[in-house]
Amino acid sequence: MSGIQFENVSKYYQDGAGSKLQILDNVSLSVQPGELVAVIGPSGSGKSTFLSIAGALLQASSGEVTINNKNLNQLSPNQVSKLRLDHIGFILQTSNLVPYLNVLDQLLVVKKMKGKITSADKMFAKELLKEVGLGSKLKKFPEQLSGGERQRTAIARAFVNDPDIILADEPTASLDSKRAFEVVELIAKGVKTRNKAAFMVTHDERMLSYCDRVYRMNEGKLELVEG
Amino acid sequence: MFLATRELKHSKWRFAMIGMILVLISWLVFILSGLGNGLSSLSAATFKNMDAEYVAFEEGARHSMSRSVISENLVQDLKAHEQVEDAAAMGSHVAVVLKEGNEDDSEKIDVSILGIEPGSFLEPSVVEGKPLTQGGDYQVIINDSLKEQGIEVGDTLEIEGVTEILEVIGFVEGESFNHLPSIFISIDEWRSIHFAAPGSDMGVELPVNAIILQGDSIEQDKLESAIEGIEVTTKKEAINGMPGYTAENGTIMMMLGFLLVISAFVIGVFFYVLTLQKTNQFGVMKAIGASNLFLTKAIVSQITLLATISIGIGIILTYGTAAILPAGMPFALDPMLVFSYAIILLFVSVLSSLISVRKITKIDPLQAIGRVE
Repeated sequence: MSGIQFENVSKYYQDGAGSKLQILDNVSLSVQPGELVAVIGPSGSGKSTFLSIAGALLQASSGEVTINNKNLNQLSPNQVSKLRLDHIGFILQTSNLVPYLNVLDQLLVVKKMKGKITSADKMFAKELLKEVGLGSKLKKFPEQLSGGERQRTAIARAFVNDPDIILADEPTASLDSKRAFEVVELIAKGVKTRNKAAFMVTHDERMLSYCDRVYRMNEGKLELVEG
Repeated sequence: MFLATRELKHSKWRFAMIGMILVLISWLVFILSGLGNGLSSLSAATFKNMDAEYVAFEEGARHSMSRSVISENLVQDLKAHEQVEDAAAMGSHVAVVLKEGNEDDSEKIDVSILGIEPGSFLEPSVVEGKPLTQGGDYQVIINDSLKEQGIEVGDTLEIEGVTEILEVIGFVEGESFNHLPSIFISIDEWRSIHFAAPGSDMGVELPVNAIILQGDSIEQDKLESAIEGIEVTTKKEAINGMPGYTAENGTIMMMLGFLLVISAFVIGVFFYVLTLQKTNQFGVMKAIGASNLFLTKAIVSQITLLATISIGIGIILTYGTAAILPAGMPFALDPMLVFSYAIILLFVSVLSSLISVRKITKIDPLQAIGRVE
């Protein structure tokens, strides 16, 4: 099964007094290629932890996470960073671009992490940037871009290594409504046309119309919101 | 290199400042090394130039020419030893000379008068005039730095306190001894100058200060036990035994050492602070898949690039400085020495990047999630 699967995933921390701090409580979720799934919930509900586990940045305390048929529990730290590079595209809050790279290099650096940059890579990166409407800003640095443009660069960056899943962490956090809609629309479009399994953590309920399914996270439990 | 060069280009001024510090440090390192080299050749150039491996002194002289008096007869005994390829006697004498015809005391010159066997391997080749001959009657070949004092071939020199008059027949290059320009004379005539006072030869027959030995396979112990009354040292030990040589060299080496340590800290701390500032950025890159190796390569290549450029500029500045330094300054740049200090500086710089590398490997990509910067 491709895409990403969570099976009874729990995450808890043991505090000093021996009591258990439960962040995620038996979460199960499956996202298939071509699907955009949103997880909403108040802050502190465990959304970010959930996303971190999905992105192989954090290990689940129990349960199994499978990305593209690979069980994350069985990977070494090096394999995990390789898995992130090859199979996961991150879109982070406020884009988090590298300040000294121009828009095109923001994408190429991901290619560079894998090895050599080929001219085909360059073509692909330019094509992606054209799709997000940055075709004319390839040589601009992040400080010369608006918030929306930065976030669109980050979207293109998430897709550049042709990952299997796309993870978005509050991608609209610092944007006004108009830009926010554009950004989510771009993510949705990318997910559909390139057939990626994507899930987005957000507290912005205006964006949910673009999503195939919406889950609500509450005190570590995940429940489907009926559309 | 991908990240390294782009960041260098983007934050030119920030890196130009640290580069500038590195330029100044390397400049100072090269100048000091030139000065050290110049001083040590001033101190012992004649010794260093000798095509020899070992030196035989009087037993108990503790590697010092001035403390040692042995007989020239030992040259034959030493030559006869199977490990010795060749041997030649040498004597040194510090004197004050005055060009004949000059009356003014301010024109006196301090020199080292070195007695050697004419035609032996100790005689340096002349760059002007004629070499020494046997029985030349106080003919001498002198270091060409004395030309600045207006001395030419054919001039004669008085020696203070001695009646003999020296006749200059040739010039040699880069020869100095005990910080003084060398004057080479036949060993027999040297003897009559050095041991002019009766009894100063302490009863030694045909006294000389030392016998210089050629031979790669000389075993010091065996030679010392085979021939009575000598101690055998390597040429290097003999140079270290020159008055003031170790002290001078030690001072300069200590400064160089401190400079290298300082440069390591300056570069190390600068890049470490830079790395701390970029913690979040590195975290994000790790989250999108950068390995530790990738980020390590970026920072190490950045430091290597910056250090190479800075050291290169330092070398250019050093040669520029050398060109305008007054000729009398004991400053001698040895390209091999400059090259090796450049390599050491580069190595130290790269080594200092390791504290940043250690920091990078500890950055958790998790901090990229759920954070608004």
